[in-house]
Parts: sequence; structure tokens; C-alpha cells
Amino acid sequence: MKLSSILRLPAVLAAVLLAPATLVAAEHTSNWAVLVSTSRFWFNYRHLANVLSIYRTVKRLGIPDSQIILMLPDDMACNPRNAFPGTVYSNADRAVDLYGDNIEVDYRGYEVTVENFIRLLTDRVGDEMPRSKRLLTDDRSNILVYMTGHGGNEFLKFQDAEEIGAYDLADAFEQMWEKKRYHEILFMIDTCQANTMYSKLYSPNIIATGSSELDQSSYSHHADNDVGVAVIDRYTYYNLEFLETQVRDINSKKTVGDLFDSYDYEKIHSHAGVRYDLFRGGAEAARSRLITDFFGNVQNVEVDGSKNTTLEEDLLSLSRTIAALRNHADEEEAAALKANETAAKATTDGRQKMQFAKPLTDDNWWTKKLFGATAVAGCALLWGLGSYLESPRA
Amino acid sequence: MAETTTTDSVVIPEPVTTYDDGGRKQPPPEKAADVRRRTLVIVSFWLIVLCLGLPIWWQTTTIYRAKLPLDEMLDWADGRACRPVFPLRISVEANDLQHQEAQNLVRLTQHALDDLNDFAGHHLRLQLASSGRPSETTAETDEDDTSALTIRLVQGDSTASALHPHSPVLDITYPPNSIPTQTSSSSALASYIATQLRSTFAEEQAIISYLLSTTSSFPAEQRPQGLTPEAADALAKRTTRSLRYSPTYHLTFSLFTGGHLPSSWDIEAAVAEFMKPVLDILTPIHNFTIDTQIQLYATPGVQSQVLNKEDLSSFVNAAEWPLSPSIGGAPTVNFIVYIGNQTIGLPTAEQAGSDGATATSQSWLVPQWGTVYLLPLPEDKAHVSASTLKQPLLTFTSHLLSLLGTPQSGSLPLRLSTLSRIRSADLLLRASSTLGSLARLSLALPSISIPSSVADGVSKTMSHLRLACDTLGTPGALYHARVAEEEAERAFFEKSMVGQLYFPDEHKIAVYLPLLGPVGVPLVMGLLNELKAWRKRRREAVDNGKAKKET
Repeated sequence: MKLSSILRLPAVLAAVLLAPATLVAAEHTSNWAVLVSTSRFWFNYRHLANVLSIYRTVKRLGIPDSQIILMLPDDMACNPRNAFPGTVYSNADRAVDLYGDNIEVDYRGYEVTVENFIRLLTDRVGDEMPRSKRLLTDDRSNILVYMTGHGGNEFLKFQDAEEIGAYDLADAFEQMWEKKRYHEILFMIDTCQANTMYSKLYSPNIIATGSSELDQSSYSHHADNDVGVAVIDRYTYYNLEFLETQVRDINSKKTVGDLFDSYDYEKIHSHAGVRYDLFRGGAEAARSRLITDFFGNVQNVEVDGSKNTTLEEDLLSLSRTIAALRNHADEEEAAALKANETAAKATTDGRQKMQFAKPLTDDNWWTKKLFGATAVAGCALLWGLGSYLESPRA
Repeated sequence: MAETTTTDSVVIPEPVTTYDDGGRKQPPPEKAADVRRRTLVIVSFWLIVLCLGLPIWWQTTTIYRAKLPLDEMLDWADGRACRPVFPLRISVEANDLQHQEAQNLVRLTQHALDDLNDFAGHHLRLQLASSGRPSETTAETDEDDTSALTIRLVQGDSTASALHPHSPVLDITYPPNSIPTQTSSSSALASYIATQLRSTFAEEQAIISYLLSTTSSFPAEQRPQGLTPEAADALAKRTTRSLRYSPTYHLTFSLFTGGHLPSSWDIEAAVAEFMKPVLDILTPIHNFTIDTQIQLYATPGVQSQVLNKEDLSSFVNAAEWPLSPSIGGAPTVNFIVYIGNQTIGLPTAEQAGSDGATATSQSWLVPQWGTVYLLPLPEDKAHVSASTLKQPLLTFTSHLLSLLGTPQSGSLPLRLSTLSRIRSADLLLRASSTLGSLARLSLALPSISIPSSVADGVSKTMSHLRLACDTLGTPGALYHARVAEEEAERAFFEKSMVGQLYFPDEHKIAVYLPLLGPVGVPLVMGLLNELKAWRKRRREAVDNGKAKKET
């Protein structure tokens, strides 16, 4: 992992030295959110509520469902123990039903696994995966990654069955960076010992924040007596409080630094951590990023001036003529092609051959043969040994 | 000792020497044959473990990593393997001129062009068209008859030039006295042609040089110098706006209305009438699929009557409008017609500069996403006719071209051929950088598996990249670059190259201990005992030998 950063160093240096203007000018054009709850079972109601609250927030600030990847491992709304069927609340006042009638869950139930999560981040998915379940980001995308669940020192438990390590998470982010799949990432995690999860990250342009330090628990905020369980965690609660009260709409000028400054041990009951050192420009640049750069959907629209209709009509008639001309030419070409079809065949053959330029199976074939021969020889040896031992000796 | 123990069940033990300290009876001594057999059993167990078990364990737990040509891949990524040059052939048709004169003019113009050009990656090469005049240039033109532009020189009254609207032809008229003589080293006409050519290709040159400069991996000497900040700004804006290349795009036309009317629209006819021609001429570069929808009672994200620029970004109600159909695998371009009489209020300062009078507009473009058009309609109209949709669709068409990254200047045929060259350069750079990413990744993550399909994809990518690089500037380059990019993406995003790569040591112990504990302990103890016994026997044998010698 070190190696990659060393290898990249000259390129980065060159970029910094030679094209500073272009790099600074680059802005992001799309916003994505990956929201993951990792625990199932009724008593973990609050994790689902955490993630749904963040989901509501990013949706309120304009990120469309197609750019939100929501992973919910359990269905609290339809849990038989839910006294309010079909709903999920993150507050005892039960003012806002987080589940509502307009929610798009991308990964549900047993689909929420470490493997699927890493596949999602690195986009190593099969053709069968629909576009809505993929993270189709590019080098101009800002991503908010929010995770919640039960964790420990450098791991986060998924579904009570497996866990993702801080190293795996760091490698996944590195693969994303390597493939230019993000512009900037805000990584938020609310779990026990959360800050250990981002300690191993090493890819640039990531701001990371977590709810609690090593050996610290992350506490729930309050319980709803009618629901019967805790409904939200403290860290998420105070994040939401800030976002609801200070970031009213997409035009808010509040910065990430303002959000981080609002973290208070008295309120959260654990030491929320922040990591800036991966970010280009350090703490100052990271803190000056707007909240809406990550939680909102920023669109730098270009408004048309008054119309110049004639120009467009010209374009249209032009295209028509050109299309007609091209059709004509194509027909002629087709006629010509028919004449010397054999020649065409020869060229396509050549092209096909070129595709299999390098047969890569040769060495494999030999190892396979060798393997078979060894196995046969081994069996023969065993048999010989056995019969030698069996043979009566005087 | 041996004699007494053979009948141990009967005989009452008498000599003290046959008992342990605890008074327990000793087992009978083993037969030599038994000892040997036990040795053989232990040896055979160990042989099986070492010769069969160990290789099988090794074979089944090693991660298969296909050999990748890492150095070559990194060469591609760093721009060492390919110098992207765009030699554009420009043929000159000068039927009114003597061959000698024409050649002289071409030579002078080429000189003038070379003097003007400061970017080595993109240069224009003039050649005399062979039509009507079979000469030594024919061999060359037959070889590659794909010229990017034809200059048609026609005798006229004054020096003038015009781009032909239907085909890539630059018509230049010249007064008869301006033809340079054989001996002259410079000519006004030659430099005029050179400047015209240069301005025709200025935008393409700027875009390509910008592409190369933002891909930081290319060495500095290949980069153009002297890009003005404004030009760089405009180019950055173009890059921001244009969609990532895809062979197919999905166009979604949506009609949103606040009430229950209108409930139908003649979109099919309108698309066929106002958009299809442009889509048709784009077919060599892109394919398009189309779907349409009508959504009633749709409330926009902003309610105010006059929308200012900040409002526009939240006008599209992403939470409630069903806008991403994710049909098929192609990226979607959205074209929205919203029925409403809202107006867009532009900042007056900006507006006064352009045309003063009208401070409103009907549409706006969202970079990499699509276009929204506000269409005012009488409230009781239930059907939107094709003619009403003319203006919106014309707007969509021109926005589609700019979303696809088509340059703004020049005649349409030139813009399209430029687009295909820009896209092939773009794809070439993308595929190269993907190769580099894969190479660095395979070095950085030693425990990631690399199936042979990846190596296969890499070799295909490189062969197509080579072909694309050699044919840059011709239409074939786009095909090869596209295949190369597809293969590179497939290799990088190979589905099986995933898995948890990091296992803490505790996990390994937890996996192996239950298996190896029960099996390993008897094996190791058996071997140790056997070794001990063997050493004891040897020592006894040596002692016996010594004793014999002494006696």
C-alpha cells in the first residue's frame, strides 16, 4: 500500500508543479451518498433510525434517490414488535415518520454484507447489477459515506455475522482513488470506538469523522417508551440537530468546520474525532468546505440567454442534409462493399485474430499436466509402499 | 528381564528392578519388528503430510495472480508508450492553378502553418489533392485518403474564405495576382490560408491540449504552453459540462405539470421532426435510446414566480420526480419540459452585456445531467402539439450537443469530426490511466487475486491502444480507443477481484488451530518419541560396541 503512494508521488508532484491552475479550478459536478446501517435485530432499531435520518437530510438537500445508496440490513418498520407498524421514528415525539411512502432501499436484509459493500465502493459488480444499485461516480463526484452499527477497535460488525476491518475500508477507498472514482469524500461513522475505523485510511481528499475514540462507547440519545427501544444515537442526533437548524436549504453557507465545531463532549458523551490530514490543503481547506458540498446536490446550472432560434433551425436543416448525404454515401459504400466482399472478409478475419493476440493459457496447460502426473505418480508410490509393507518378510 | 515379563499375569513379581518407583509394573519390551513397524507408520504419516498435504494446502490457499505486463502498463499510463499526435491531413484543391504554382503555394502555406503552431501534438499537414492531376502525390493520398478538411481554391476578386456548411470544405477565393512566384519566400495568400486554417482548428487544438495537460501523467514537453487563463476557464467549463463518453446514451423526455392538464403531448412526432436529424448524424459516435413520460401534479422544488439562479439548482424536485429510470446500462440524459409560467430572472449586469432588453429566459442546462425548459401554456389546454414543442426540442438539441462535448465553433461537419477526435483522445487517455491504476493496484495489494481474464483484457487493451495511437486523427481511432477503454474497464472492474484482503493474525489462528491442533500434536509427539528412541538405541549400540571392544 505504501508502494502505491510512492509510485504516485512523481505524478502528483508533476501535477502540482505544472498544472496548479487546472487542479484548483476543478470542481465537483455530482453528489452521492452511501448510507449504511450494519446491524439487524429489533434492539438495534436506533441504527436504522440513524441512517434513515441522514437519508432524509440528504434527500431534503436535493440528492436524488438514484444517487443515494441506502443499505438497511433489517426491516424495523415491518417488525412484529413495532407498535407503530410501517413507520420508523428517530425521536420520541414521533413527529416525522422516517420510513414514509417515498423511500428507495438499495440493499436490504441479507444483501448487506461486507463483500457487497466493498463491491459497491469499488464497483466490481456483474452485468446483472442494475444501475440504481451501483455507485457510478467519477473524478468530479463528492461522496458522503455514513456508517453506523456495532464496532470495535478497527472493525465494524456487519449483521452479527462478519466484520469489515479498517484496512479493508482503507484499501477500498484507495482503489476508488486509483480509479478516479471520487473528488472528495466525507466519511462519517457512528459506532463504538469509531475513530479507529478511519485511522488506517491513506487515500487523499478524505475528511473523516467519528463518534468516539478507542475504548470509548458511542451512546444512544434517548428511548421511546412506546417503541420500547432507544431510537437514535447521540452523535447522529447532534449532527442532525445542526443540519436541521443551521442548514435549512441548499444555499446554506455553513461549512464542515462549523459542523465539527458543534461537537461537544457534554452532549455526545464521547470524544468525536476528525481527521483532516488526508485532505489536499489540510485542515484549513477541509474545514472551509460547505456542508452542502457533501450533504446537498450542487448543480452549477447554466442559464440560456434569450434564444437565437435561427441558429438552431439552421443546425437542424443542416443535419438533415448531412444525414441524407451520408445515407447516400453509405448506400454507395454498401454497393461497393458487396463487390469485393471477399476482401472485407479477409480484413475482419485479421481483426478477430488480433483480438486473441496473446494466448495466455500455455503455462497453465503445462502446470495442469505436471499436476496430473504428480498425482498419478504419488498414487503409484503409495500403492508400491503399501504393497512393500504388506509383503511378508522373513 | 525379558523372561519374567512374558508370563506377567501369573508370576508374582519379585525383583525390584522390574518395577517403577511408583511400584507400577513395566510393559513387556517391544519386539524389534513392532518397533520397526511403528517407525514406518510414523514415517508414512509424515510423508503423506509433507508430500501430499502440504502441496495441497499450498495449492488451495495461494491466490492466483496472473502475470501482468506491469512495465508496459505503466508506460502507457505515464505517456511513454504513446505520443498522442494528431496529424490532420488537409487536401488542397486548386484546379485553376498550374501544378507547379499550386505546389509552391502549398509549401509556403505549410511553412506559415508550422511557424504559427506551438503545440507539437496537433499539426496540420497540407497536401495537394490528386484529383484531375495524377502526379507524385497520388501514392501518398491513396494510402490514407481521409483528409480532415479540403481547401478549395477558386479564383475571384478578393481574398475571402468561407466554410462550406454541408461538408468539411473551406472555400477560399483569391485575386489572380496573389499567387506567389516560384522564387518568393513568403506570400500574403499563403499566410492568409494558414491563419484561416489555424482559426478553424483553434478550438480543437485548445481542447486536445487541455485534455493532455489535465492528464498529469504526460511529460511536460508534450504540453502546450501559453494557454490563457480565460481559455483554460472556458475549457474547464466544457469539461465540467460534458458527459463521460459512453457508446449509448438514454434520452428521457419528461413532461411535468403542476395540475391535471395537459395530459398528452405529441413528443414522438416532435422528436422525429426536431431532434432525429441531429441524432442521425451523431450515430457514428453515439447511439441513443429514448423514452418519454408525463407526470401530473408535480410540484417543483421552488415555488416562487420569478426564479433566480440559486433557485434553479433546486427547481428539479429530485425527491419526488421519477427521473432516473435506469433502463438498460446506458447513462441517462434528462430533458424536462415543465408547464408553468415561471420566469427566470437573470442578474441584470450579466444580461445588460449580452442583449439588454430581455431579462428572462426559458431554459437552463444542468452540467452532465440535462436540460429544463419552462413552457407557459393556457391552463385549459389538454394536449401539447408538436409545433408547441419545437422551441423546447431545438433547445434540447443544442444542449445535447454541448452535453456531448461538441465544440462550439466551425461548421457542423467539422464540429462532428472534431468531436470524434476529441473523444478518441479522451478514451485513449482514460484507458491508459486505467491500465496504470491496475498496475499500481496489483503492486500495492499483494493479496488481491488476478484472474487470467484480467491479463487477457490487459493485452487486448494494449493492442487496441497501440492501434488507436497509430491511427489517431482518423475515424478508426475512435473504434480502437473505444474497444481499448471497454476492455480496460472490464479488466479493472473484474468481478472476482474482490474479497476481504486483510485478515488479522488472530483470525488465522482461529481458523487453523481447531484443525491442526488435534492432528498436529500426535504427529509431532510421535516423531519426537521416535527420534528419542532412535537416539537411545544408537547410544546403546555404541555402548555395546565399546563394551565388546573392552572385553
